[in-house]
Amino acid sequence: MSWRPPPPPRIEDRIRLERDGTVTALSGKVDFGQGIRTAFGQIVADELDVALESVQVVLGDTSRSPYDFGTYGSQSIHVEGSNLRNAAAAARAILLARASARLKVEAADLEVALGTVRPKRGGPSVTYSELAAEGPLDGLVPDGIATKKADALRLVGTSVPRREGRDIVTGRPVYVTDVRLPGMLRGAVLRPPHMGAALRELEEAGAGSLPGVIKVVRDGDFVGVVAERHEQALAAVAALRAVWDPTPPSRGVEHDIELRRDEGIDAALAGATKLLEAAYTLPYLANAPIGPSGAVADVRSDSATIYSGSQRPFGLRSQIAQLLRLDDSKVHVVPSRSSGTYGRNNNDDAPAEAARLSRAVGKPVLVQWTREDEFAYGTLRPAAFIEAKAGLASDGRVAAWSYRVTTHAHILAPVENAQIAAVTAGSGALPTYDIPKAEIQLHIEKSEVRTSSFRSLAGAENVFAIESLMDELAVLAGVDPVEFRLRHVSDARFASVMRLVAERSGWTAGRAATGRGLGFACTVFDHTYIAQVADVSVDADARLRIHKLWCAIDPGLVINPDGVRNQIEGAMMQGASFSLMEQVQQRDGRVAARGWDTYPIVTFRDAPEIEVIVAADATHPSTGAGEAGIVPIGAAIANAVFAATGVRCRELPLTNDNIERARRERPPRS
Amino acid sequence: MRYELTVNGEKRVLDLPANVPLLWALRDDLGLTGTRYGCGLGQCGACFVIAGGRERASCLMTVDQAANEHLEITTVEGLAKGDRLHPVQQAFIDEDAMQCGYCTSGMLIGAAALLMQDPHPNEATIKERMANHLCRCGVYNRVVRAVQRASAT
Repeated sequence: MSWRPPPPPRIEDRIRLERDGTVTALSGKVDFGQGIRTAFGQIVADELDVALESVQVVLGDTSRSPYDFGTYGSQSIHVEGSNLRNAAAAARAILLARASARLKVEAADLEVALGTVRPKRGGPSVTYSELAAEGPLDGLVPDGIATKKADALRLVGTSVPRREGRDIVTGRPVYVTDVRLPGMLRGAVLRPPHMGAALRELEEAGAGSLPGVIKVVRDGDFVGVVAERHEQALAAVAALRAVWDPTPPSRGVEHDIELRRDEGIDAALAGATKLLEAAYTLPYLANAPIGPSGAVADVRSDSATIYSGSQRPFGLRSQIAQLLRLDDSKVHVVPSRSSGTYGRNNNDDAPAEAARLSRAVGKPVLVQWTREDEFAYGTLRPAAFIEAKAGLASDGRVAAWSYRVTTHAHILAPVENAQIAAVTAGSGALPTYDIPKAEIQLHIEKSEVRTSSFRSLAGAENVFAIESLMDELAVLAGVDPVEFRLRHVSDARFASVMRLVAERSGWTAGRAATGRGLGFACTVFDHTYIAQVADVSVDADARLRIHKLWCAIDPGLVINPDGVRNQIEGAMMQGASFSLMEQVQQRDGRVAARGWDTYPIVTFRDAPEIEVIVAADATHPSTGAGEAGIVPIGAAIANAVFAATGVRCRELPLTNDNIERARRERPPRS
Repeated sequence: MRYELTVNGEKRVLDLPANVPLLWALRDDLGLTGTRYGCGLGQCGACFVIAGGRERASCLMTVDQAANEHLEITTVEGLAKGDRLHPVQQAFIDEDAMQCGYCTSGMLIGAAALLMQDPHPNEATIKERMANHLCRCGVYNRVVRAVQRASAT
């Protein structure tokens, strides 16, 4: 990954005033269900004092939007929201200056409502469309430009409806695989036993003469078919016979990284009154989008247009330009909505496949991955193994903390840079508590499968271990788990969400294990404060049922409260799913899952009730809400299993097999 | 081969190879891309349509079958009457019962089919009858609320 310093922000990169007085807001981010198109519209409309309907939000279009590294890490509202707000404030300042000159009234004595500027004391007014005629709004966004105070906001802080809602419920063609171009053909790709395998031999076996087949395309290890119809392309690929190099892959770069090491940690561990050692295990997970990957490419001799649901349209543009030996400026990535992506589309594979096939036939080609392909070749959330040791002092507080996580790369591209490895695979590994002495080590191993980013990067893995360990330590100290955590917290906002969720959930601890119980977990993830409680029961056959989940979250200034609730509910539902049942089985790089029968996820039947309390402190800047919800939930559920049964489960998922094994290994004390 | 289908109340004539899955005829020949491809295995509900009065997986049904059995097909595009949304469509907007929206077409078909048979289902019935529809973004509870809201209108 190359880093380049961001250019100074220019107004016209993000905000344009059209001749009719409407506003175009431009961002390189993309919306795949998080609701940022709506939230960006709210931010810009408020700052410019125009109606929400007057703001058109253009996202991720490489020919129009400003460069962006990608939509991941819950940065859209946190960082990009501020960029848009500042640009809108700068635009408003220019408009007020123009209005001031026209109306001969000091800018400070003017007010704006719905795109009309008038003197506060009354008198003639002027509209944005009239002011637009004086020329485009351009210039740098001044450093530290003043934006509106929280109490002056009308749309920000309200739950305005999702802008794409009507198109989605009426079945409009909104997704990338709905793109239909004149003369467009369908493509399918021959899959190796594992991604990246070398092709030794290929026998076309009559595939080329099957009905509808236009061409069998071989390009190095890449083999695909272009046909008139989707089913025909699939049938032709099925007819191909290939011999692949059997060597299993080994991906990634190894790292040993010290994230924290306090002097005196060894002595602190040795001097602890009570010591706890535990190892936690997390499996590989599939992204498992409901819609498998897909893309459309229209490659011409000197240019290309790519329709993709990529989370990184600009990165994709460079990738395609390199593949086709074109200049970046000759490739246009048209961002198109994809099925939900939880990290998968940081490395959208389909566009390059479509581009190779389109180049070979000189026509637009749609590549639609199958469900089987998506499970077998999509990217995976890495597995993790965490060895922890912690000591309590005589006052019952944590005195020493030793933590070593072994995992794989959390981004797909080989990561040579240790700092990038640390912030991705090491995210969430630093405990969010006041702990006097700690050592935290990150060991990254190579992997046989394609590991990459999944919602919260390593946050959900590390916080599962940290919050399970804190729960175990609370038991060891004989202190209520919430009270125990509060004794290690000095940040008032963190303590506040912890107390709030405990109160709402009717938190009680220390009862005998009756088969039903409450579990608690919390964290601060990317500056967002979050605390969760799970209410579960475990039956005589060790089958877990999650009845209800609560969450209190403080992500600073909230743009769209229901949007935040929806994101948190969804993340918790996803977390409930992986805690209950999700794991990818693999051997020599071959993933076993092929369908929803072999990779089950939570359904309506086992979906828990979820209550989200948005306890926002609007005096603080917005932080992310897309990922935090998934981070502590695994530990909250496992801690609830302990409360219900007395059995400490240190491995996800919490299947009855894993619960039974934990019961055998660590029988509950009666 | 020549097939005649009734889709969203209109007679449509298709010239296709034999045994094309209804899903791909809808998406690629009739321009009705609102019916989404999810798995091709009948496991996820994304491609469900109403066929002959009940919800069916369009990925597992061939055009031949739909034509031979004279099944009237309703897709998500056929739920609204002109500009007037079907109550389940309006309820999904009101509850924001979606995130990426990819499963939404199938969910709406499932909800509409359920309400045709049971106009006032309780929560347990909704969960049981909708359990063949998967959502990865996790909006199940909002969908239950949306179906309840639609059933009250």
